[in-house]
Amino acid sequence: MKSLLLSAAAIAMATTAVHADTSGKRIALSNNYAGNSWRQAMLHSWEDVAETAVAAGTVAAADAFTTSENQATEQAAQIQNMILQGYDAIVVNAASPTALNGAVKEACDAGLVVVSFDGIVTEPCAWRIAVDFQEMGRLQVEYLAGRIPDGGKLLEIRGLAGVFVDDEISAGIHKGIEEFPQFEIAGAVHGDWAQDVAQKAVAGLLPSLPDVVGVVTQGGDGYGAAQAFKAAGRDTPLIVLGNRQDEMAWWSEQHADNGYETMSLSIAPGVASLSFWVAQQILDGAEVPKDLSVPFLKVTQDTLDTTLEGTPEGSVATIDYSLDDAKGVIAGAM
Amino acid sequence: MPIVKFILSRTWIWSWVAAAGAFMMVMALTQGRGASELAYAALSFGAFAAIVGLGQMLVITLGPGNVDLSIPATMTLAGTLALKTMGSDPNTAILGFTVAIGVGILAGMMNFALIYLLRLPPIIATLAASLIFQSIAIWSNRGLRIKPPEGLADFATGRTFGLPNVALVGLGLSILVWIVLERTVFGRWLLAAGQNLRAARLAGIPVEFVRATTYITVAVFASIAGFFLSSFSGGAALNMGQEYLLTSIAVVVIGGTSIAGGMSNVPGVWGASLFMFLVVSMLNSYGLGAGVRMMLTGTIIIGIVIAASTRRTRA
Repeated sequence: MKSLLLSAAAIAMATTAVHADTSGKRIALSNNYAGNSWRQAMLHSWEDVAETAVAAGTVAAADAFTTSENQATEQAAQIQNMILQGYDAIVVNAASPTALNGAVKEACDAGLVVVSFDGIVTEPCAWRIAVDFQEMGRLQVEYLAGRIPDGGKLLEIRGLAGVFVDDEISAGIHKGIEEFPQFEIAGAVHGDWAQDVAQKAVAGLLPSLPDVVGVVTQGGDGYGAAQAFKAAGRDTPLIVLGNRQDEMAWWSEQHADNGYETMSLSIAPGVASLSFWVAQQILDGAEVPKDLSVPFLKVTQDTLDTTLEGTPEGSVATIDYSLDDAKGVIAGAM
Repeated sequence: MPIVKFILSRTWIWSWVAAAGAFMMVMALTQGRGASELAYAALSFGAFAAIVGLGQMLVITLGPGNVDLSIPATMTLAGTLALKTMGSDPNTAILGFTVAIGVGILAGMMNFALIYLLRLPPIIATLAASLIFQSIAIWSNRGLRIKPPEGLADFATGRTFGLPNVALVGLGLSILVWIVLERTVFGRWLLAAGQNLRAARLAGIPVEFVRATTYITVAVFASIAGFFLSSFSGGAALNMGQEYLLTSIAVVVIGGTSIAGGMSNVPGVWGASLFMFLVVSMLNSYGLGAGVRMMLTGTIIIGIVIAASTRRTRA
């Protein structure tokens, strides 16, 4: 009993300590790109959590900065400015996994905490909140194998050529194909994670594409693919979606019409709020492993309606992570 | 032989030859299957490139240093604001179109104001303006995709007499541009200004008026493309214009318009727009990786430009 009381007191002290220790700290978000709905939802999530945390006195400031040209050099300069402005921690979604390492090292040397997420940096002094993109690709094939046991030909829609994430997801998809050899990639196009680009690329490939049973995607391209299939007058194959509201609305319509069922998965833009809390925990003195991972946000037929309801029109499905979620992720990586 | 000579002396022929070549290559793979499907897709998507390409062609015709780099941002802004105004309500297509045209006129005026009043080189001025346009687009709707009204979406994706409606819009604009360039005084002014700005000014041509009109026209064309593209693809996205920056310049150059200015080529823009779509389609169909695909696209473009320009010097 005594020990229980003691630990309760310890927890109470620890909780107050959270406020005491970081209330004077300032956190900055260094973001490389704002030009799509996912990034906009991500910035929104950061603003929400930052506003509440500042109002509650958890931290003194949590400002977001976005570079205009999506260039690593520009972002490196931005990080150097943040060091000069005296921030205590920088949360960064990086334009490149390696090109920012110099600036990140400078920040670490100046005593700042650097937490990278989504677009992570390889500099060892920084923390990484990574997404297992390979698993994201593999899972899609696994899902298709469950739905179409006989297998068949697939169309792969890739992202932006030359970007790390595109290579990773695609590698995962090919790993999935090895695991389920009844599937075969009959064609691949680059959709640049944009509906209109994907629509154009798929429309150009369709005339020479044999019948496909499924489409594996990277997010932000499923609706465009569906439009291209429709315009060509072909049956809609099983398209794995990427949590965009227009994709889910289309899915819901199709389900009502003809019982269409699929799966949708992506990283929740709310990962920005998770990163905020992780940075706050590090500033607070918590012991946090350098490599953390975030789960995907997966939408199935059962969760479609509630997810769709909670997603603003034209946006991306998301969840805002709390301090407790962050503690859970940290504990999970210990 | 005079016919052959006549055809070969047209610089636009090379972009059409290349487009036809790419088309045949895909057909060789499918043994003729899906020919009409591919042609239809090429016309639909080529139309967007052709519309922005026509605008860019007029600006490039103005002479060295003239180019509009704000096309993607103008497309995004026009699409975003138009779709936000319409808010998916039926019978608002005219209103949305008016908003898009309005955005185009304002964007063009802003570009020209920066160029004329601040004496900025067009590359810097339009690039700076594009950051402003893009920011307004982000600020106004935070990247939310609003669906176009159903009637408008049906029009944008539909067809008349077997041709995509967007291609018909593009064709109408092309004829307009061709008439203005070939048959009106304004067209002569534009070409003269592009050939030698100083000589044109001394000859009494209102060159600043010509430049202003051209910069407004390119922005209006970009807005029209943005309006129809967002109606076509189910909503405006913040990154929707991105690929049209290089495309708009590429179709002008491949189409045989002189990059030094003073010479336009409307049919070439169409040939090049169809080619730009078909070459990606061809390389995708043959299953080539992204690296090889980009290298081949670059090589083919250089080849066409060389072929077209050698012809010109001989003629």
